[in-house]
Amino acid sequence: MSALDPIDHTTLDHVLVLAPYRRDADYLKQLFVEHDIPVDVCIDVAEIPDYLARSPGVLVATHEALTPVILKDVAGHLASQPSWSEMPIVVLLDRTSNQIRVRTELARVWPRARQLFYQRPVTPVELISGVQSAMLARLRQRDVRDHIEREIELRRELNHRVKNILASVASIFEMTHRGANTLAEFADDFRGRLDALSRVHSAVFHAADEEVSIAEIVDLTFDPYQLQGQSRVVTGGPAVMLTREAGTTLALCLHELATNAIKYGGLSTPEGRVSFEWTLSEDDPAMLSILWIEQGGPPVVEPSRTGYGTRYLRAALGSLFGSKPVMTFAPAGLRCEVSGRVSRLSRNP
Amino acid sequence: MPESSISPDTRLRVLCLEDNPLIVFHLEQLIEDLGHEFAGSFESFADLKADASLDRIDCALVDIDLADGPTGPAAARWLSSKGIPCIFVTGQEQVAARHPDVAVDTVVKPITPAALAAALTLLANAKRPSSD
Repeated sequence: MSALDPIDHTTLDHVLVLAPYRRDADYLKQLFVEHDIPVDVCIDVAEIPDYLARSPGVLVATHEALTPVILKDVAGHLASQPSWSEMPIVVLLDRTSNQIRVRTELARVWPRARQLFYQRPVTPVELISGVQSAMLARLRQRDVRDHIEREIELRRELNHRVKNILASVASIFEMTHRGANTLAEFADDFRGRLDALSRVHSAVFHAADEEVSIAEIVDLTFDPYQLQGQSRVVTGGPAVMLTREAGTTLALCLHELATNAIKYGGLSTPEGRVSFEWTLSEDDPAMLSILWIEQGGPPVVEPSRTGYGTRYLRAALGSLFGSKPVMTFAPAGLRCEVSGRVSRLSRNP
Repeated sequence: MPESSISPDTRLRVLCLEDNPLIVFHLEQLIEDLGHEFAGSFESFADLKADASLDRIDCALVDIDLADGPTGPAAARWLSSKGIPCIFVTGQEQVAARHPDVAVDTVVKPITPAALAAALTLLANAKRPSSD
């Protein structure tokens, strides 16, 4: 590939030409414009700081531009570069000058620059290919910058999520502790809730776009009890993808309903049954409804003291769906239902 | 029990802005333990604006990140402008520190009962009429 092959200049930075002689400046500007290279031209030394502030990607300096003032301004600009940056500078040296001395001096006063030297007169093809490769080098530096920024962003997001998880675990701990009568009961309940949290975390992590279907949440709730596939647990509904947060909350709610059913309700007797079904309305906005029904368990009595499960279900389903869940402690079995706009739980309903 | 030290004069009706239902659930319990009243919760600034009947709300506990994004500071500003003092309850204390004018205090997550009690007691004492 020749350096004169067309490249997509829209993704590139601009070139800043430092040329105190107007004739040089005009010639270089014309040359870069002809090759679709975005260019700024600075003739007046006093304006250099303003031009540098526009963050050029590559500098092109003529020999006459290597004055003490310009050397100092550019050195200041190089010193203020972020860590990923090593600005390419193309220098057009006079044929009669002591080129070794100039190069040694520039290496000293302009550290952290990729310097490229040409001897005048330079052919257009040489200069353009040199500037284009300098701009591509600059593009790669910006890729590094983007990676660094992405990593900083990821670290921030990771910290945020870890804090959220720790806060959730702390709340589960506190609330489980309050509700437990014995240490064994506390340990069982706490372990169960942490397992539920951990299973939904894995499901969401492995999913594309961090979305999880209701069917998947149902699977990971019932799989540990090997209740799926038995006629005792009937579940079903349309494909609905939930956000990470909504999926986590629904998983914790289903965990409470399932463990309660196993301990006291529809799954505590051999003949008991549970159904969990969800539906999506065709209204605009579409409404998602969930319905949990237990049958065939021991006669249900409304608990005298509201425990963790019930309180959590009310709070969590209420906040998830934006309307209070209806929990009916019917003698035949517990019913729990709630509905709300699917857009509250799903990114692309 | 803390209830004994709370008179009707200093009992607060506390609103929560928090999008993690577990935390809402925990806050509700802590608020009641401290003898105050849990006045409900919203998971987003949008829900708050759409639905809030802010009668008799004494103060609000506000997270930075809500279901509609990092809208906690804006929500706190909105509540403050209606005369409702706010306390940030958040894991992002650095962000909270950038908005000192919209919240009277910050409680850092994970929430401890003592930290929440201290913040609410300050407001409860401010509520008590100075004449007695």
